[in-house]
Amino acid sequence: MQRRRGTKGDIIAVYLLQRLFGTVPVLLLIALLVFVLLHAAPGDPTTMLLGQETTAADLAEAKRRWGLDQPVHVQYVKFVLAAATGDLGRSFRFSAPVKEVIAERLPATIELAAFSILIAVLCAIPLGVCAGARPNSWIDNVGTSFGLFGISMPNFWLGIMLILLFAGTFHVAPSAGRSTYGIAGPSQTGFYFLDSVMQRNWAALKDAFLHVLMPALALGVNMIGILMRVTRSSVLETATEEYVVTARAKGLAERIVLWRHILSNALIPIITVVGLELGTLLSGSIIVETVFAWPGVGSLLITGVTSRDYPLVTGLVLMYTVAFVTINLIIDALYAFIDPRIRY
Amino acid sequence: MNRRQKLLLAGLTALLLITAQARPAEAQTRVSIGVTETMETYNPYGDSVSLLYGIWCQVMGCLGTYDFDKGDYVGMLAERWEVKDPNTWIFYLRKDIRWHDGSPFTADDVVHSFNRARNDPQSKQTQNIAPIASAAAVDKYTVRFTTKQPTAPLLEYLFDRLIITNKAVYEKYGTEADRKYPIGAGPYKFKELVPGQRFVIAKNPDYPGMKQLTQAPDELIFRVMREDEQRVTALLNGEIQIAQFIPPHLRKRVESDPNAKATTVDSVEIMFLAMQPKPPFDKKEVRQAVCHAIDRDRIITTLLQGLAARLDGPIGPGQYGYDPNLKPKYDYSPDKARKLLAQAGYPNGVDVELQTTVGRYTLDKQLNEAIVQMLNGAGFRAKLLTPEWATLWSNVQAGKTPFYYMGRGSIVDPSVALSQYFETGGSPRIGYSNPKFDKLLATERQTFEPAKRRKVLAEAMSLLTDDAPACFLWRHKMIYGMAKNIDYKPTPSGRIFGEDIRVLR
Amino acid sequence: MQPKFVVGASIVCVLTVVGVLSPWLAPYDPGKQTLEAALKAPQWFGGAHFLGTDSLGRDILSRVIYGARVSLLVAFAVVLISGFVGISLGAVSGYFGGRVDFTIQKLVEVVWAFPALLLAITILAFLGQGLFNLIMALVAQRWIQYCRVVRGQALALRGRDFVTATRALGASDQRIIRRHILPNLIQISLVIGTFSMASAIISEASLSFLGLGVPPEIPTWGTMLADSRSYISTAWWLALFPGLCIFLTVLGINLLGDAIRDLLDPRLKRTVKG
Repeated sequence: MQRRRGTKGDIIAVYLLQRLFGTVPVLLLIALLVFVLLHAAPGDPTTMLLGQETTAADLAEAKRRWGLDQPVHVQYVKFVLAAATGDLGRSFRFSAPVKEVIAERLPATIELAAFSILIAVLCAIPLGVCAGARPNSWIDNVGTSFGLFGISMPNFWLGIMLILLFAGTFHVAPSAGRSTYGIAGPSQTGFYFLDSVMQRNWAALKDAFLHVLMPALALGVNMIGILMRVTRSSVLETATEEYVVTARAKGLAERIVLWRHILSNALIPIITVVGLELGTLLSGSIIVETVFAWPGVGSLLITGVTSRDYPLVTGLVLMYTVAFVTINLIIDALYAFIDPRIRY
Repeated sequence: MNRRQKLLLAGLTALLLITAQARPAEAQTRVSIGVTETMETYNPYGDSVSLLYGIWCQVMGCLGTYDFDKGDYVGMLAERWEVKDPNTWIFYLRKDIRWHDGSPFTADDVVHSFNRARNDPQSKQTQNIAPIASAAAVDKYTVRFTTKQPTAPLLEYLFDRLIITNKAVYEKYGTEADRKYPIGAGPYKFKELVPGQRFVIAKNPDYPGMKQLTQAPDELIFRVMREDEQRVTALLNGEIQIAQFIPPHLRKRVESDPNAKATTVDSVEIMFLAMQPKPPFDKKEVRQAVCHAIDRDRIITTLLQGLAARLDGPIGPGQYGYDPNLKPKYDYSPDKARKLLAQAGYPNGVDVELQTTVGRYTLDKQLNEAIVQMLNGAGFRAKLLTPEWATLWSNVQAGKTPFYYMGRGSIVDPSVALSQYFETGGSPRIGYSNPKFDKLLATERQTFEPAKRRKVLAEAMSLLTDDAPACFLWRHKMIYGMAKNIDYKPTPSGRIFGEDIRVLR
Repeated sequence: MQPKFVVGASIVCVLTVVGVLSPWLAPYDPGKQTLEAALKAPQWFGGAHFLGTDSLGRDILSRVIYGARVSLLVAFAVVLISGFVGISLGAVSGYFGGRVDFTIQKLVEVVWAFPALLLAITILAFLGQGLFNLIMALVAQRWIQYCRVVRGQALALRGRDFVTATRALGASDQRIIRRHILPNLIQISLVIGTFSMASAIISEASLSFLGLGVPPEIPTWGTMLADSRSYISTAWWLALFPGLCIFLTVLGINLLGDAIRDLLDPRLKRTVKG
């Protein structure tokens, strides 16, 4: 028994390593795709960033200055060579190295994503399990309607509704931004929650919480729907399996059967969806971040794409890729641990 | 289960109580402004957004600005200026200005700034100094700019556009200076910049005259808020004291609040429909038909709720060279439009595709949907497209968009804008060419005597209106929402200067 | 028949019929503007505009009716196409594992990491603004979801006894996938499908938010919602009715999906039969 599990661990390790190395061609391919698409899309950084007073001569001069007058393949090779040494170039819009710009914005997005996931998981999984345990009961119907309501609203719209409600009617939360000027001390980690706890600045902690509340809700409510439904359906499906029937027959309490036997076995699709949604949150928070002036990578991407900031967008997409590959890996590893039947 | 619920309820109530507490009163006055543009870079030359020119101008410094009340250019770091000969401009700097670190401000800083705007690899402002060949310090407080060719509207290029930065700091720290040592010479000091979120500046009491402005806010916070409802809500919520660009239909919501008011200002941005002289717009009659087909007055009174001024030429009252005796040329008349179309050889109508931005200008999408319906009622078969801004703008700049709705902002002196859109070789944006018009513009640029120059400009614009390479529509009246205790008159250019704001106690 | 099925099916049927028959059902031309009659509140009891008018004075009822047509078309087309692509690739990837899985998952990672926005901008900039191009732009990103989830399930299934047994009996891979793997994937696919139908409608709204949606002359619920966003506090009816329609559609489709899943599920049937 012990030996067999060891071999399985080895197989997983080899598999994970393979996947990691497999990332390199993916990165190259993605960089190429971004390059081609960005250059193919109308417009370039010079037309987007120099003001409306610009003349054609100014544009040509800026193109030369920024190395955009060279053929795309030359630019790509240059980029790849520089990237191999860890240099992702300088953003045109931000006049700063891409790595710095992204590093500065990433904590904001992670903080937001973490809160949204938290909100979604805390609401959706209990709701989904209860609904799945008693299909067609009132809790199922109410939960389902709530979940469907959540996904029926585009999040920019939900965001504005939340602003009108929480900031306008109840006056409890600020309508934009990530912090109030003058409350928090200098940021050490980039994560405002961590900072304020480390500095024991409770006013700043409250401030950070109030700011994250609405954007996190706007993102989370959208996720509650799908997560709850997947949980429900997965629980429903698992509930008819033989071992559950056996467990029940053994006379185990219904609560234990539900939470220990059913939920743990229903987790695969749930985890997949959480992972998927985490990915969506990283890039899909674009609109919510823009609406709430949340200085994260989502609003960065939209700034980058709309100003055709080639280095910035390429850098961001590479970052996303690494993040997604990692998330994928973690999900796959989780599969194997949750369901011993899965082999790779 | 029950206890848990109670605990949860108690927790929620506590949370609400904590959050509902009033914010502490402050001795310092702080004015927050909800703005629509984002600020992303520490480099004063790294962006060319209207809002940022205004902020950098009061933090770093600039030579001067346009005073809309006086109707003339006024100096800031420059005391006065003169045109020695058509290619030589001399600026005499103020001698009582010090950088925020105490060192004196001199002509060398101005020359350095010119060079940096031109040579900084990240500069997005080369266009502002394009007419200038070189800059030199004549003495400690005198700068000489030599232009490539006579450029009467040079101040339009330079004032509140050429940002003045500190030479010594840059030489010591290089590009690091922007971020770590943002030392300016303006009436406000750099306090904090969180890209994409806010820009904070604080009053500089050492700037001449600033001590006397006791009511000017001690701190100004520019906060990015893109959504209309969001800016209004934040204003009514007391989070911000000034809300930029409120759409006409939300004005009532601001005015109905006892603690807020709305002020309007005529924007200097002109809105127009550009028509490239390619079929079917190669025929003057078709272009004129477009102008006759649009009932501008009706659109202004209904959709815009009266918050726009009709344009009967490229510019309106308050802009340089406006002719007060101008007679409206294009009345609303679908019949005239149909006749003109028939004359041009399209008796059965003609297909056109109008392109517009979405959310960039006041009500742009709705306005153009109305325009398209009016065009369709006057013999056109018009279709509206709404491409993404970057796509539209670069296609316009490349001369690939035949028919589009666009605004040209910051027009005080129209010369530059007219040349850019309508002079032969000015830009491919419209691709219009008319030797008569070119000649008038060339004359105007070399005429330094104001009265004469105005006359030539007016003649050029009248020619343009008649030939109609573009149909000039309106200038929006921009609505600013304000807290009751703020006394501020917004500027037509959209620049926001702290000195102009009074906080009433 | 389950009540779920009846309710779900009737909602979907009604909406589809409304969509198909919109030219006959709508009281006005949805594009007809009357600038003077803009932003009229709903006139429930008699009056020209039952659900009010929008900022250009267009009749909201007519626009909602016409909107059903395009929004449903977008939703169904996107779900069917992306579902087909995603499920097939996911099943193959999970069942075969190894190199096939590796390659397909690489593709998934590439597309997944690729910003949907950039993809949509380029597709629409090249192909031009239009309904079909919009659908393609949405599909380009959406098949990923099916692929990932289905693969996870397929991975779990292929280790199951009944699959091993069938293989031992000499069944071909193709047959195993078709007869044993795919039927077991139906449940989860239905859930995702019914959900992504909603998100397809929503995505269309989000693209309109960025100015990338369908041309403005085509009324859709998504664009109506996007256009309403600066009117929420002053003219609630602009947002409420298209929002309600989206919710109803999502509700109907989900109820129907649930019912169909219950019908198809072999194990559920077994337990019901006893």
